[in-house]
This record gives sequence, C-alpha cells and structure tokens, in this order.
Amino acid sequence: MIEIRGLSHRFGGEVFAVQNIDISIAAGEFVSIVGPSGCGKTTVLNIVAGLLPTEQGEVAINGTPPRAGRHDVAYMLARDSLFPWCTALTNTEFGAEIRAEPAESRRRKALALLEAVGLKGFEDKLPKALSHGMRQRVALARTFCLDSQILLMDEPFGALDAQTKLQLEDVLLQLWASMRRTVIFITHDLAEAVVLSDRVLVMSARPGRVVADISIPLKRPRSVSDLQRDPHYHELYAEVWEKLEEGMTGMNTRSISLA
Amino acid sequence: MLITLGRLFFLFVLCALWELVSIQQWINPIFIGRPTQIVRFLFDGLFVNYELVIQAYWTMVSTAAAFILGSAFGILFGFLFVTYPLVEKFLEPIFDGLNALPRIALAPLFLLWFGLGLASKIALGFSLTFFIVLSSTVAGARSVNTDFLILAKTLGASPASVFRKITLPSAVPSIFSGLRLGLIYALLGVIGGEIIAAEKGLGQLLSFLAGSFKTNGVFAVLILLSFLGGLLTYLTSKIEARLLRWR
Repeated sequence: MIEIRGLSHRFGGEVFAVQNIDISIAAGEFVSIVGPSGCGKTTVLNIVAGLLPTEQGEVAINGTPPRAGRHDVAYMLARDSLFPWCTALTNTEFGAEIRAEPAESRRRKALALLEAVGLKGFEDKLPKALSHGMRQRVALARTFCLDSQILLMDEPFGALDAQTKLQLEDVLLQLWASMRRTVIFITHDLAEAVVLSDRVLVMSARPGRVVADISIPLKRPRSVSDLQRDPHYHELYAEVWEKLEEGMTGMNTRSISLA
Repeated sequence: MLITLGRLFFLFVLCALWELVSIQQWINPIFIGRPTQIVRFLFDGLFVNYELVIQAYWTMVSTAAAFILGSAFGILFGFLFVTYPLVEKFLEPIFDGLNALPRIALAPLFLLWFGLGLASKIALGFSLTFFIVLSSTVAGARSVNTDFLILAKTLGASPASVFRKITLPSAVPSIFSGLRLGLIYALLGVIGGEIIAAEKGLGQLLSFLAGSFKTNGVFAVLILLSFLGGLLTYLTSKIEARLLRWR
C-alpha cells in the first residue's frame, strides 16, 4: 500500500521536477507511470525508494515514510547492473544474501526463478556470456528473489531492443501473476504500460503532474501477443496516447509563451 | 613459425657480425664484449660456479620482499583513503611530495639507515611499488559502477558488505595492473639500490664487473636481468588471467 499526497520536488531548490502529485496504490496493484522524458517520473520513484528525500508533501509505504534499504521494497534499475564477477545464480541470490536470507532457501528460490525466467542451464554463466535480454532476465529473477511486497521498477526494459522487450514483458507478466507484488513501473513505452498494468498514470511535461489515471481492465492472465489482436487493448492504448499528448502540448504552449 | 625462424636467423647474423667486429678489434672489445664469451660467462655463472645464480637469488629475494611489502601497504592505504577520505586529504600533500621525489635519490639515506644489507634496497623497491599500487587501488575503488551502489543502498547493505561484495571485486582489475607495474618497479628499485652500494645482488655484480672492465660479464648480467623481468611479467599476467576470468 503506497500513499502519495501533495508531493512536490525541486531540483537544486529551484525548478519544479514534480508538482503536487497524489497517487494511491493498493496492495497487489500493478501501476505504470508514463510521461515524456524529464517529466519527473523517475523522481517520484526515487522518492518512494528513499533514494531522494521527501521535500514537500507526504509519502507513506505501508504506513511509514520511505527509507532506502527497507525490506518490504525492492528496486530494479534500467540497466541490468549484474556483477560481472558473479554467475547468473550468485547474481540472482545477491539481494537475498544481503538481506541475510539463509543460504539454502535463497539458493532454492534463485534456481526456481532462473527457470521461471527461461534461464535453466545458464546458472553458472557469467554475465559476459549472456545477451542483454538474458542479463535483464537475471536482474528480474534477482528482484523477485527478494521477499519484498513492493517492487519499484525504473524503465527495466528501456535499454532492450523491441523484440527482446516483448519477451521480457511476458516473463514479467508471468512472474507477477504467480507472485503478486505491488508494482510501480516507470516507462516511456505506452504499449508496455498498457500491457502490464492495472492502472496507467500519465504525467505531464515538467513540472510533472499526474494528468490522467486510466484503469486497464483487460483480463488476466495476459500475453503480449494475444493483446495485439484485442481491440479493447488498442482503445486503451489510444486513450493513454491522447492523454499523454495533452500533457505534452501543455509544455509546448508554455514554452512558446515564455519565449 | 617462419617469423620465429627469421628472428633466430637475424639474431645469429647479428651475433656473428658482433663476434667478427670484436675479434678483428674494429671496435675495442672492452666496450662491446664478445658474444661467445658472454654466453660462456652466462653458462659458467649459471651452471659451473653459480655466481649468477647466487646473486640473482639475493636480488629476487629483495625484489619479492619489496614487492610484497609495497603492494600490501599500497592496497591497505588505498582502501583506507577510499573509506576515510579525511585520511587521504590529510596525507595527500605528504604522499604527493614523496611520490614526486626521484626515489633513487633516497638511496644514500637508506644506506645510512639500513646499511649495505638487504634492507636498503628493499626500502628503495618499496618506495616505488607502494605509490604505484596505492594510486591504482584508489583509482579502482573509485571506479565502482554507481548502479551497484544504488542497488546496494536499496537493499540496505551494510558498509562492510558493500566493501566486500562490490568495492573490492570492482577494484581488482585496476589493482592488478598496478601490481604488474609495481613488480617491475620493485626490481628496478632493488637493482638501482644494488648498483649504488650493496654487498650482494645482480646490481652489485653488474657495477663490479663494469668497474673492472669485464664487459662480457656486464652483458651476461643484463641478459639475465631482462630474462628475469620478462619472467616476472609473464607470471603476473598468468595469475591475473586466472583471477579475472570474469572479464
């Protein structure tokens, strides 16, 4: 359960990165935040992760303020950030190891997760022997290997090619379906947001505000390729696109008036 | 294969020419020696009277001591600097000053302090290795991927486990290139120290042979030193390739 009330954040105490954000996310909900680059979506995520201080407004995660390192939150970065000196298996275990989970149970979980993300047989491979997509699969496994109820994901598939991205979205859908976490997913890819989420929040250009909260009632379990043939999916996509465009036009008119 | 044969042939021609020039006294052999005599000196020193083996032993023992001490303290101070930047700030001007000093200039002082034994030349080798390994350790520990640190922070990792699991392995490649260089410099410092004044060692032998115009011996020692230096570099790169398989 994540509650954000009246959150504002400035860069260097001057320019507003985000302004007056209200977001409420229920337990087990998958929420994506989309918006043009520089709209402050990552800022919001980093405040929730406790990587940035809450300057103005209130943020509560399961009733307490954010703090980096709390065990009910897991964070996943855009780049795979696997340790090149560790195998896929030890990389998967890393988070659980840092959080002092017993060796035997974390090993069991890591092996099961590597299988779930389609990397059975690659456990002992070093990252340099894996493709980008495979490395990000390991990073997914590492994130889910933590017991954290809340996952914060900062454009985790942003650096992948289109094809690989679709495959990983399916992997994430499956993991989420079987393990049910509360997810905040940052992306600039609208299709990705619609495919994965229960709700898509659209942010405007800087200063970032939430301009739309669109629920995605597509039935689960979903698969990326099936959704391509679903007219409802395309309608929702168009709706998100429209809201995003409205948010972006806001930016354009303002910069013109400033000039 | 062909190129190896070519090289051998070139070497042979060069030595034959050298031998001829020396025998014919076109150049005084005191300056250039004679290849057959150089080989003979090498052979005798290595397998007959063991002179070269004994002196090489002392040189290598001193080099090993200088290298081990220098790199141990270099790594230690390197991580100390990264962990406690205040210590670095405090010591930096002193260390910079020492590092700027041509280290061989310390030799007279070391001789005064430690005498003609091993300690003087070990100190000289140490003074070179230490700073090389120190700066490569600092550079390595500072080059940690910031994503790793963000990840560690969100996981709630303790400073000790960040160091053990992230900083240390991240720094290893850079430390190794420092060690490789540090080993060669340890040898340089030791040989330099021996040439200036010592009881034992290849440097001392070199200086003695040159002083008594035994040019063949000088060349023999130089060949041996080049071989030893090459051997040390080869061994470190083998160890490095083993430890850094993940690269």
